[in-house]
Amino acid sequence: MNTMTMTQPAEGMIIYRGKLAVLRCWAYLGLIGGMAALALFGGDYDESAFVFQMLSMTGALWGGAGVLAGIGVGALLSRGDDAGVPGWESKLVPWLDGALVMVLLMGLWSLLEPAPSQISYTDQSNMVSGKIIMAMNVLFLFSAICYIAQLFAPASFIGKMGSLAAWGGVYAGGSALLLRWYESYQFLGGEIGHAPVSNLYEVFILLCCIISIIYLAFERRYKTTGLGAFVMFLVACAVFFSVWLGSIGQADIKPLVPALQSYWMKIHVPLNFIGYGSFAVACAAGMAWLLRARLEQRGKTELLAIFPTLEQLDLLGYRAVMIGFPAFTLATILGAAWAAEAWGGYWSWDPKETWALIVWLVYGAWLHVRVSHGWSGRVLAWWSVIAFVVTLFCFVGVNMYLSGLHSYGRLT
Amino acid sequence: MIKTLLLRLGSMPLAILLLTVLALASAIGTVLLQNQGQTDYLQQFGPLWYWVLRSLGMFDMYHSWWFISLLGFLMVSVSACLWRNVPRMLGEMRARKVTLADRVWRRMEHQQQWTEQGLSAAEVAERVRKLAPEWGWIEERVGDVLWLRGDRGRRHKWGYILVHGAILVILIGGWMSVQFGFRGDMSVPEGGRESEIMFVQGTGTGHLTMPFQVQCNKFTINFFPNGMPKEFRSNLTIIDHGKPVLTKDIIVNKPLYYKGVRIYQASFGDGGSAIRMKLFHLDGTGRSSVINTRVYDTWKDPYSSVTLEMTNFKPFNVENMADPGEPKKFQDLGPAVEFVLRGKGFKSVKIKSFMNPFVIGDENRGSFMMVSFSGDSKDYEAVPLGIDLSNPKEWQLFNAFVRHLAQRTSRASGESGKEANLRAFKAAIFDVFGDDRPADIQQMGMRVIQSVQTLMQLPWPYIPMLEDYDQVYYTGLELARDPGINVVWVGSAILVLGLCIMFYLSHRKVWLRVATEGDGVKLHLAGMSNRNKLMFDEEFHQLFNRLRYGSGSGDEA
Repeated sequence: MNTMTMTQPAEGMIIYRGKLAVLRCWAYLGLIGGMAALALFGGDYDESAFVFQMLSMTGALWGGAGVLAGIGVGALLSRGDDAGVPGWESKLVPWLDGALVMVLLMGLWSLLEPAPSQISYTDQSNMVSGKIIMAMNVLFLFSAICYIAQLFAPASFIGKMGSLAAWGGVYAGGSALLLRWYESYQFLGGEIGHAPVSNLYEVFILLCCIISIIYLAFERRYKTTGLGAFVMFLVACAVFFSVWLGSIGQADIKPLVPALQSYWMKIHVPLNFIGYGSFAVACAAGMAWLLRARLEQRGKTELLAIFPTLEQLDLLGYRAVMIGFPAFTLATILGAAWAAEAWGGYWSWDPKETWALIVWLVYGAWLHVRVSHGWSGRVLAWWSVIAFVVTLFCFVGVNMYLSGLHSYGRLT
Repeated sequence: MIKTLLLRLGSMPLAILLLTVLALASAIGTVLLQNQGQTDYLQQFGPLWYWVLRSLGMFDMYHSWWFISLLGFLMVSVSACLWRNVPRMLGEMRARKVTLADRVWRRMEHQQQWTEQGLSAAEVAERVRKLAPEWGWIEERVGDVLWLRGDRGRRHKWGYILVHGAILVILIGGWMSVQFGFRGDMSVPEGGRESEIMFVQGTGTGHLTMPFQVQCNKFTINFFPNGMPKEFRSNLTIIDHGKPVLTKDIIVNKPLYYKGVRIYQASFGDGGSAIRMKLFHLDGTGRSSVINTRVYDTWKDPYSSVTLEMTNFKPFNVENMADPGEPKKFQDLGPAVEFVLRGKGFKSVKIKSFMNPFVIGDENRGSFMMVSFSGDSKDYEAVPLGIDLSNPKEWQLFNAFVRHLAQRTSRASGESGKEANLRAFKAAIFDVFGDDRPADIQQMGMRVIQSVQTLMQLPWPYIPMLEDYDQVYYTGLELARDPGINVVWVGSAILVLGLCIMFYLSHRKVWLRVATEGDGVKLHLAGMSNRNKLMFDEEFHQLFNRLRYGSGSGDEA
């Protein structure tokens, strides 16, 4: 067996190592625990009221207590990285830091919102989230251009720009979605507030961000900037689609239909999109594999300077499915749990459910041939691309062409 | 013989084939709409294809014999696969070979060699156990060579076993749900009781009686400020053996649970609202009469052949009032009743009659109705009636005007049409109002003159308008009992657990060969991992550094 030529995993940045990172991580966990405790034991839980309760004095007390408890537990329990081995905390803390930055950015944007008298449900064009989303679109498109340019001119700074722009896009998109959540409480007396995962426009923004996050995590870990051209190309397509959705009036915040008024929505939808996003990255790796194989065949090596090797691409595709498949499985199971609570049965052979099963079967078969049969290379690369087309049909096509219980995702 | 069959059944190509066939078959059912009315299918496919598709069970294909067989076949295949592989895997997890042949040794991806002075092999082994206890070392001495073997993630094959076992469990749970459970709908009008559910069974409808009755006390719809429905709420009472035992509100996403049956809010509709209609007779007498009926009843005119079959009532009728191409502009047109009007001498029509006149801004444009000559709701056309029939004076004015106009045109043909109109109108106003004219007489006049055109063209003996109503909803409930559901949840939990083990736990093996050399030892470390080779790179490196330098950090050469 030949040796793997993948680059060593990158050493974490300094702020993610050491005692400070460990304690910070525990502080975040404590905060989350404190908020969960507030929701569970802090009196009658009411979804909409809770969002505001978290920001109130009660929230500060419970959260603060949680943070202190977390730091205490962390100081007692963690070995830290005395042994020089970064613990799990240093892997978790970048995600939590990122989440905090998004929340802070959201807070910052909310200061720029128009005065209450200027806010109107019928014309939402003056809301700030729309502008931040526009910035996200520009950043993602710019990032895609940089990554693609980098294939032809492998100067590291172009790749860095692409990477930076993608990071910017992720933070813009994430904070804009949070802001949309906040904004949804500004209309019609706060009655229609809901998480921003309720229509195709919102989930496309989420999808762009999730694909980019998964790719950027890969890039940081495996230093495979060449893949960015393919991933960000897909993100750019998604950006164009969401701009089109916005142009046909799908971008407005609307009240939730009764079927969607459930805490399950906040769990089921994002988890599903972690699955879809990973499958998109796997598809990009497959496309890159096919292109590289063709270029190699024709002897056009000048483009291959920063291309990951075929082996790396194969592995990256597998890693992406490794994230996506369990997430998608869990999302489908939780969707079934929701259906059991809302529709009277965990499985109704509704088109969306059926297509989710088809996607699951397609990737299940992909894993079978790869893991048990040891297949790799061309067939799997094609398979990843086609499987993603099936996935796309599952989450856009079904909404647009088929009817069923998931019809609230439809374009109207 | 049986063994080869089982081997075949559990083989990979068959599994792939099965997954593909299942995926394709499932896809068909999403394109071909399931469980529609048989007449719709017949119309869509024609008699031949309808017969072919129907005999293949394509209209309820997820419950057809061949689809169930496919799932059964999948179960057999998964079982055979488990039967074939589980003993081997358990054996592999247990067997840990400490020594390695040179041939295998050379093929190891990860290798490191170094020497230690002044240490015996036994001391090295002890140090290794202390420095890297998480590897669970075992040792074996062959001649003057001490072999050590360490493993991490040995249990990773459980992932495979759990995932495949979980699929069996889920399928069994699903079978239990279908076999021992039920799921059906019932409609309960407000104030009424019901104990029977209906469900689709093949190409027909099945019935099942619950061991209790459901009474709907009240059904309410709440709206968002923009007019979209916010909540559908039913207040239900469960009546068991004639005694009310439980009263509770249910909404979508919050079902009620009683004796193993879940009761879901699924739909709603009219539960037989009381309707009062006013019939405006067009026989020139200016009469109007009032009738009382209910939705779903048919009212028969005792004096003629005319019947009114009441089909629906809605208190809100939000319609898009924008012209095509304009942005949508919704307006609530108020209560309306739908009915089919039949009788001798005219074509039967479907009518949606509104209680209120059509008002835009300040302008009253008179009463109107939607009429469908085909009887299909798609073909509704708005028919403006001209006068506002909700105002009795306006109906009187109209009749007085028609009467005066008829007198004038028959008596003196010398008068021009316009003048006759004006005089007839003035006379009519005097008949109805005397000298006390209402403020909006101008607009009223316009409406009356318009009515002469429209009302005279109507072929019916009278115009039935909605006068008053007392609304009764029915609540559409879904009742389901699912004894397999917990089995499915257990299977799902096992599935996720198995997937996590399969994907995130890799079996990593390391061997350390310690050969005595002079007064020291020569060490040779080799390792392999069945997956996640990238992370193993790092892990192997760290292990080497720890063993070599006594700590995990060392230099990251």
